[in-house]
Amino acid sequence: MEVSRRTFIKTTIVGGVGVSAFGFSLAPIYAQARGLKIDRTTETRSTCPYCSVSCGVIIHTIGDKAKNVTPQVVHVEGDPDHPINRGTLCPKGSSLEQEIMNERRLLKPQVRRPGSDHWEDISWDDAFNEIGRWVKKTRDETFVEKDEKGFTVNRCEGIGWIGGCTDTNELNYLAVKAMRSMGVCYFETQARV
Amino acid sequence: MFSWDASINRVHQLAEKSTPARELLVFYATVLATQKEIYESLRTKRDWLPSGVLENDLSVLREHVPFFLKSVLSVAPPALVEQADARDELLFEYWENRSDKLFFPKAFLQPYAQWSVQSGVFSKHTSTPENRCPYCFGKPQLSVLRVTESGSESGNRHLLCATCLSSWEFRRVVCASCSEEHPFKLQYFKSDEYDHVRIETCESCKQYVKGIDLTRLGLAVPVVDDVATAALDLWAIEKGYAKIELNLVGL
Repeated sequence: MEVSRRTFIKTTIVGGVGVSAFGFSLAPIYAQARGLKIDRTTETRSTCPYCSVSCGVIIHTIGDKAKNVTPQVVHVEGDPDHPINRGTLCPKGSSLEQEIMNERRLLKPQVRRPGSDHWEDISWDDAFNEIGRWVKKTRDETFVEKDEKGFTVNRCEGIGWIGGCTDTNELNYLAVKAMRSMGVCYFETQARV
Repeated sequence: MFSWDASINRVHQLAEKSTPARELLVFYATVLATQKEIYESLRTKRDWLPSGVLENDLSVLREHVPFFLKSVLSVAPPALVEQADARDELLFEYWENRSDKLFFPKAFLQPYAQWSVQSGVFSKHTSTPENRCPYCFGKPQLSVLRVTESGSESGNRHLLCATCLSSWEFRRVVCASCSEEHPFKLQYFKSDEYDHVRIETCESCKQYVKGIDLTRLGLAVPVVDDVATAALDLWAIEKGYAKIELNLVGL
């Protein structure tokens, strides 16, 4: 009877004291195996979010799909199979892990008051309200309904928007709708660079 | 690229340390030295090149069987001694089926297969399944990460053939046995004890291949470091995984 591969291997290692398929004593190796601390990672292909080159990356994560464990990124590297970058990454892409895991990541909104030398924490509600008041005030003071030739332009020239390369398509869609509806012309994103 | 000298140097280097795998390494050192002699003999044989057909090359290969058996049996455990057999029929059987349970045919034919590739007799095919050797259709013995792109720090993945010891490019995040690509089905296990070695498993087929990361340790020799890290194989077996291809110490 043909012995299956799994049976062939497993039946030669019984109870922690056994022999390999070719008769080598595995007792000392088994003792070593019991003492090994084993980490499990997964690798996921993704795209660097920073610029339009769209380099491929591989993200190494510990704890994916484990119960009661928050997955944690432990390493990000260029994807060597990706036709765009073939594994290489620029300095920004190389530091992607830091964007995810660095302890200095901002986790709450902050504001720096005029003339101040430091940032202060501010609640989301207060931030929304304050931004809303400033946007309305600035738009009211700088809105241009007609240009010098008398054409209706409805421009808001006192506000500019700078987007970031990690902004999602969904956020950018909303930003375009919001800003253009207010007449904002100075609208740019670093991702276009 | 596989080198007999680098492999022999590495196995002696690792065998000098008193590790649990020392017995395996000492045995494998003799196997490598024996294989190297056979390889050199074939390579330097005047007016002869492999034909690409085992049947036609057997008359030359048979000359080395007594030497091979004598060398290996001098260090082999009793269970392996009982299996000692490099008759033609077994050589054909291995060549046809590539069973890793046939130690003697596999170990004996590796130098021949390697020389057949290097001499150009086995050319690279483009229609081979990606998880089989494009030169001799062998199964993957190991997964190896090494940098091939200038300016990159990421390792390109290669599979090392169990028969001819050639390597071919293979994609990352893909099972080397069943080609599963879902990242959650593919898991990588490693221990701090062996920072450059990991067990690459697949939950779809429950098989694994050992991965040697040369970007973490450039001095490693994949076939030797595979033997030296036998503890990881035992761990994987206990977890229910089967290795795609057993190595020459049966793990």
